[in-house]
Amino acid sequence: MRDRILARVRSALADREVVAHPGAFPGPLHAGPVIEAFTDRFRAVGGEVERFAGMDEALDWLEGFASAFAGVAAGADVPAELATKLPTVPARDAPLGVSMARYAAADTGSLVLDSKGGRLPQLLPPTHLVWVRADAVMATLDEALEAGRGDLPAVLALHSGPSRSADIGRVIVTGVHGPGRVVVGIVD
Amino acid sequence: MRATLFVTCLGDQFFADACADTVELLRSLGVDVDVAMGQTCCGQPAYNAGHWPEARSIASHTLGVLADAEYLVVPSGSCAAMMRTGYGELFGDDGGRAVAELAGRTFELAEFIVGVLGVDAVGSGLAGRRVAYHHGCHALRELGSREEPLTLLRNAGAELVQWEAAEECCGFGGLFSAKLPEVSAAMADRKLDTLPDPDIVTSADPGCLLHLSGRAAERGGGPVFRHLASVLWEAANGRS
Amino acid sequence: MDVHSRDYAARARAILRDEPHVREAVIGATVAFDQHRERAYGEVDSDAWRAWASDVKSHALTNLADYLEEAESRLTENGVVVHWAETAADVHSVLEAVAADHGVRKVVKGKSMLSEELGVNDALERQGIEVVETDLGEYVIQLFGEPPSHIVGPAIHRSLEDIQELFHRVHGTPPHATPEDLAAAARVALREAFLTADMGITGGNFLVAETGTLALIENEGNIRLATSAPKVHVALVGIEKVIARWSDLAGMLQLTSRAATGQAVGTFVSMIHGPRRDGEPDGPEAVHVILVDNGRTGMLADEATWEALKCVRCGACLNVCPVYRQTGGHAYGWVYSGPIGAVLAPALLGLDEGGALPFASTLCGACTEVCPVRIPLHDMLLTWRRRTVEAGKAPATEGLLLSAYAAAAKRPALFRLGAAGLQLLPMAVTRRLPFLKSWLAVHGDLPWSKPSFLRRWKAGPK
Repeated sequence: MRDRILARVRSALADREVVAHPGAFPGPLHAGPVIEAFTDRFRAVGGEVERFAGMDEALDWLEGFASAFAGVAAGADVPAELATKLPTVPARDAPLGVSMARYAAADTGSLVLDSKGGRLPQLLPPTHLVWVRADAVMATLDEALEAGRGDLPAVLALHSGPSRSADIGRVIVTGVHGPGRVVVGIVD
Repeated sequence: MRATLFVTCLGDQFFADACADTVELLRSLGVDVDVAMGQTCCGQPAYNAGHWPEARSIASHTLGVLADAEYLVVPSGSCAAMMRTGYGELFGDDGGRAVAELAGRTFELAEFIVGVLGVDAVGSGLAGRRVAYHHGCHALRELGSREEPLTLLRNAGAELVQWEAAEECCGFGGLFSAKLPEVSAAMADRKLDTLPDPDIVTSADPGCLLHLSGRAAERGGGPVFRHLASVLWEAANGRS
Repeated sequence: MDVHSRDYAARARAILRDEPHVREAVIGATVAFDQHRERAYGEVDSDAWRAWASDVKSHALTNLADYLEEAESRLTENGVVVHWAETAADVHSVLEAVAADHGVRKVVKGKSMLSEELGVNDALERQGIEVVETDLGEYVIQLFGEPPSHIVGPAIHRSLEDIQELFHRVHGTPPHATPEDLAAAARVALREAFLTADMGITGGNFLVAETGTLALIENEGNIRLATSAPKVHVALVGIEKVIARWSDLAGMLQLTSRAATGQAVGTFVSMIHGPRRDGEPDGPEAVHVILVDNGRTGMLADEATWEALKCVRCGACLNVCPVYRQTGGHAYGWVYSGPIGAVLAPALLGLDEGGALPFASTLCGACTEVCPVRIPLHDMLLTWRRRTVEAGKAPATEGLLLSAYAAAAKRPALFRLGAAGLQLLPMAVTRRLPFLKSWLAVHGDLPWSKPSFLRRWKAGPK
């Protein structure tokens, strides 16, 4: 079957002029401050962004933020110093999921997450807290994916705001399957 | 300057006044106008329905009739597009010089006035009139003419009304309107339902106007529909 | 799936007559989609993006055999099991075998037009497997027992009121529940399905040859869940989905999203490189990719229409299509509707089944103008019309009348005599003539100019 399909493809293309690859994507190179651009994009689609000057500031904020939740499912790749004091519960029961993003892209407002620390904490809890280092926020998605290509995990995923659907009556509803609330903590 | 007028089959039969107004308008702009009496149809109905041998036969006749035209002016974006781009497709490599030359000399009316004559104002008789402009699809997308009619209307004093569906197809589509009449009528209804109460609805295409006005009449009234040539001639002539 | 494309005219008429709310819902949705696309194109150099994307796809398609082999190698290295399928039946066999291997009883699905094309749900259900659509729109139409009516918004033909009534019946939600409440009810039911399903089935937006990446775009998170929670993931991927390079992906994802919904990028993108790896806490134990032909190689060989294989299924041509807007997708009687559906139908189904759809257009060209990969859709529709006529499959009356019309058009006096003659006929007769009969059924009387311009000119003072 494979060989028949490939033979048909080759025969179909026998007289076809080959089109050259166009090279790099002519996408926008955003000038200006990258973190501000990411923040604007991410907030525009209903996400939340917090920026911290250092680890101490982040931990102070985290204590207050976490107090609203009864338990957490955290990705295995979240640094130990950013752990909450909340009890760990299975992702399907957790009100809060926490992950570490490898990169973020300002032009699309995307977080680049990978599967190494676990996928379900990114997906099942209704609230998702994502940490990202300030120096991992790239100007463009192009750059972020290029940075990631050396080490492609089972899944590299982009999360660009809360889960949403407009399938019912054209009204945008958040939190349909994935998290309805996404909070990004950018740490310098 | 001499221009030959191709009035189109629908123009001849349903928009005779607009054809006459085209002649007057062009003359007022210093153009020597002639009308080739052997003209019939550009062949587009057969072409778009996929009947290319019939379309070629009609197009060959038309090419012969118009062989001497210095400029060809067509008060229909759709027929102008057929002659400028459709004939090339229809005849392919067999088209030869006649097809290529006609393509280079063919213009829709507003295109001709603005682009060839270099005139962007024909009068001011539309002051205070609210005008809705329907862009015929082929003028807009095949000829790439969006601004020319709007410029002429605006400079004649018209207030161009915002019309959500101004650039949406009216549903005429030649034989489409007879083969799928319910869909075609629904398309016209969307145009009419979004129309913001203008004094005049105008367009460069007899087919679209015939369809829209016919549908408006069937639904029991509606605004005044007039061909662009008539609206512009009245603007120039001060009668409007 | 069942194909009813040859009945386009009757289906369109029936929808307009019997279900007027469909037109209202579809116009509302498609106009909004199109406005979002237009704004999103305006934010970037969309002409440059589209020229680039067109070349990315054409490059991959004109080197398709090599890139398919490269994709297969990389997928295999990534631990993905690759299958090849020539027909829908081949796909069903692969699914049957994979399901049997893993003891699958329940499947959760991400939205996949290819799975609709292949009739996957019916095949699995015949095997006794429960199939749950998890995209909210797909879930709604699965409950209605309908096929999707739009590539991106499968349930856009359904109003809020329709869905309120459905969920009241199925889930016991209040009769006037809000969209939020309805979505919450679906979320509860579908969350259970994700956590108990044995297999997730998805399509694929792009398959990157260089890295063996399967890329999927969505907004809800259901595809991420369907590819993460069950123990097996099977992706159905048309062979035309291959692109050459990892560096093509960022641009293709963004342009597809902008064209489809106006977003900078879909809310979730999955870039999959195989099953759960050692040390990873979760993920499927097996990932299968089925590379599907189902008529695509035949299309690739067609000089006039192969470029339609560049299609990224964004739905932009449906949204802008004034013909599609009147009826929605069900009139087309097939999985793909609107301009791209009308181009694909005769190519993939043949002229007998699919030949009616290219006539469901005014050739207005709006589709070609918005296509993110620059497919000359309305030119292809015209090509299919010409081929339908050449194959002798146009209505006989139409051919006879156009022959007579063409003969008359070469004889100006006769041509004008014909027009004059028509005006002399009693209305009762005119109303029975082909074409005029349909015209007069929906328009007022013909406003003949008396006399015609040329008659006046001839008599003139000039």
